[in-house]
Amino acid sequence: MSYVDVIDKTEIPKPDKYYTEPSFEETLGLRIAYRREGSGEAVVFLHGAGYTRRWLPMYQMMAKGVDFVAPEAPGFGETPLPTSFRDFGDLVILYDQFLQQLGLQEIHLIGYSMGGWAAAEFASYYPNRVKSLTLITPIGLRLEENPGVDLFQLSPPELMDRLFNDKAVMEEYMPDPDNFDEGIHLYAEFSAAARLIWAPRYNLALERRLQRLTCPSLVVRAEDDRLVPNEMAEKFADVLPASRLEMIPETGHEICLERPEQLTNVLLRFIKEAS
Amino acid sequence: MNKLRFYFFHLMPYPYIPPETEYDSTWVTLSNKYYDPQRGRVLYNEYIDQLCAAEKFGFDAAIVNEHHANYYGTMPSPNIITAMLIQRTSRMPVGMIGNAIPLHGNPLRVAEEVAMLDVISGGRIISGFVRGIGPEYFNNGVAPADSVARFDEAHDLIIKAWTEDGPFTWQGEYFYIPNVNPIPRPMQQPHPPIWIPGQGSLETLRFIAEHKYTYMMIYAPQWFTKAVFSGLRDECLRCGYEAPLSMFNAAVPTYVAETDEQAHREAKAHLSWLFNTGLKIPQQLFFPPGYMTVKSFRNFAGAYLKGKVKNPCELTYDDMIKHRYIIVGSPETVKNSMGEYCEDVVAGGILNVGSAFGPMPNWMVMKNMQIFAEEVMPEFREADGKPDYLREEPLAPVTYAEGAARFGEPEESARSKVTGIDDLIEHRTAHVPEVIDASQIDKAVHDSKPSRS
Repeated sequence: MSYVDVIDKTEIPKPDKYYTEPSFEETLGLRIAYRREGSGEAVVFLHGAGYTRRWLPMYQMMAKGVDFVAPEAPGFGETPLPTSFRDFGDLVILYDQFLQQLGLQEIHLIGYSMGGWAAAEFASYYPNRVKSLTLITPIGLRLEENPGVDLFQLSPPELMDRLFNDKAVMEEYMPDPDNFDEGIHLYAEFSAAARLIWAPRYNLALERRLQRLTCPSLVVRAEDDRLVPNEMAEKFADVLPASRLEMIPETGHEICLERPEQLTNVLLRFIKEAS
Repeated sequence: MNKLRFYFFHLMPYPYIPPETEYDSTWVTLSNKYYDPQRGRVLYNEYIDQLCAAEKFGFDAAIVNEHHANYYGTMPSPNIITAMLIQRTSRMPVGMIGNAIPLHGNPLRVAEEVAMLDVISGGRIISGFVRGIGPEYFNNGVAPADSVARFDEAHDLIIKAWTEDGPFTWQGEYFYIPNVNPIPRPMQQPHPPIWIPGQGSLETLRFIAEHKYTYMMIYAPQWFTKAVFSGLRDECLRCGYEAPLSMFNAAVPTYVAETDEQAHREAKAHLSWLFNTGLKIPQQLFFPPGYMTVKSFRNFAGAYLKGKVKNPCELTYDDMIKHRYIIVGSPETVKNSMGEYCEDVVAGGILNVGSAFGPMPNWMVMKNMQIFAEEVMPEFREADGKPDYLREEPLAPVTYAEGAARFGEPEESARSKVTGIDDLIEHRTAHVPEVIDASQIDKAVHDSKPSRS
């Protein structure tokens, strides 16, 4: 039986801005879309639940310093969603195989938001393959006192408002409400995210499993994250051994889009130290 | 057979909440602090009385459903209400349309409860299965993306539990049960009739056609119901059979009064509440990600953008009347509208007839029921005016004598081994001297007493 059983084939819309043609790597029967540029240390970036299909300014800046690899998870961007795909375990095994096929044994791993959760899971499964771990406004741990807002309960305008503190950047990245196909695609990507994170919104085992990490780790938090409480980044920094916490001023949850330059500087400096 | 069947479908709304202009949703997020158990008690008991009255008025069934964490329908367990209804009615079928099987931890619980109800009621149960609507996934730990697959698996498990001798092992993706062996089994064979409500998605229609189940279209404009019924008929033909009329049922809230004017005057506020307040649900709660397949969502969103379908809370009363989401008027008007409606969409049954809409007072519900029963129902009935079920022999005997005549001795009489007696004891006669020698028992009792020193 193939890893992939049924794939809902639809034309994936291409955003006007920053869209680039991806490469594809056939992995366990699934065509994983990815983009890769630059040379030097191999850095793998796991995206959050949105802004796929693009070679974003932050990626461009990173590729000037490192070999930057950005795969798209099943159900995101141009990677299809197999019906059998269920959880982070499936995702981590898929990425492991994918990276091996690209010849990437040891990597610097970065995850943003939901991708931060994925990166933490990957590191807990394969600690020996991770030279450094960076989590940017991640999710995935339990905040008992204040679980924060439920992103799935937010209307699209509320969600956009909470993602961005810099409203000029928000306007720049606002999805076109008249673009029907893009709207449907975003529903599909949100469905893929819901498959991974709907319930529970955390993995309690992560707190224990991350203890075995020996690589240096960095947690980047926003100044005022109105989607995921700032305590989440702080808790990750507490849980991760050999970690440090950095804050990017004047940002909300979407640090990658709001302050790509400052973020890139922090990331490249850390990766250099960890290499 | 009657031309049309009328089902008294109750939602059990709770209306004592702030006006809908003050919040975004009557589901999920509107606090349960507004629920006053003292008022709730009165409402529940009125609603149960109304449902029981449906038998005397001549409805074809009383129907209840399952909803969670909202004020539109305060019936998280339809099985509990059904248990009360079958005790207070004697012949009328009772339907649960239905149990939200993907939302529950163990579908066998549903198989057991429905079987209990079917046995106790003498085979009067209609068993509906639903996925639960989008907002309900915000009150449960089940991912909406798993909804369809969990529904399918739970359905297969329940049907197998009802139709195959246990014990057997269930090895599913979502449920693993080492020994499936529910006791009791249902009375109706092979199992109670199954109804599936829907909003017209192709996946649902295919499922119903394949299993020959009964469809119930939820609130929709007449043209849409017509299109969906025609789609279902096609799916049935594709499965190799012509669908019987009884397979097609539409939920059309109906209110009848002395004159058209009087009917609108009485019903308008309450029917508006049903749609505009009771179903005030923002889109992101209505359609959580993964609840619909991307294909279905694309179809739905396309129709929505073209203005073809509307969120119920956006409907005006005039929309509801014009597109026949509802039927309101004098007995003459309702007879004509209902006749036209059913001929046009080709339906065999109408639900939500005469029920309690929103905050409608008890007296108004009873008035609606009586006028409907006496002045509308006969139009669609055989000359005897009876609901179809009264022309059929009940599945269970009404009296012990009938039971003895029809079924005689049980296949396995109760026999067991009793200490000190070699033969198996037949319990029916276990107490007569020919079976148990009392003197032997006396001796055993005597021997067991401590001897006095």
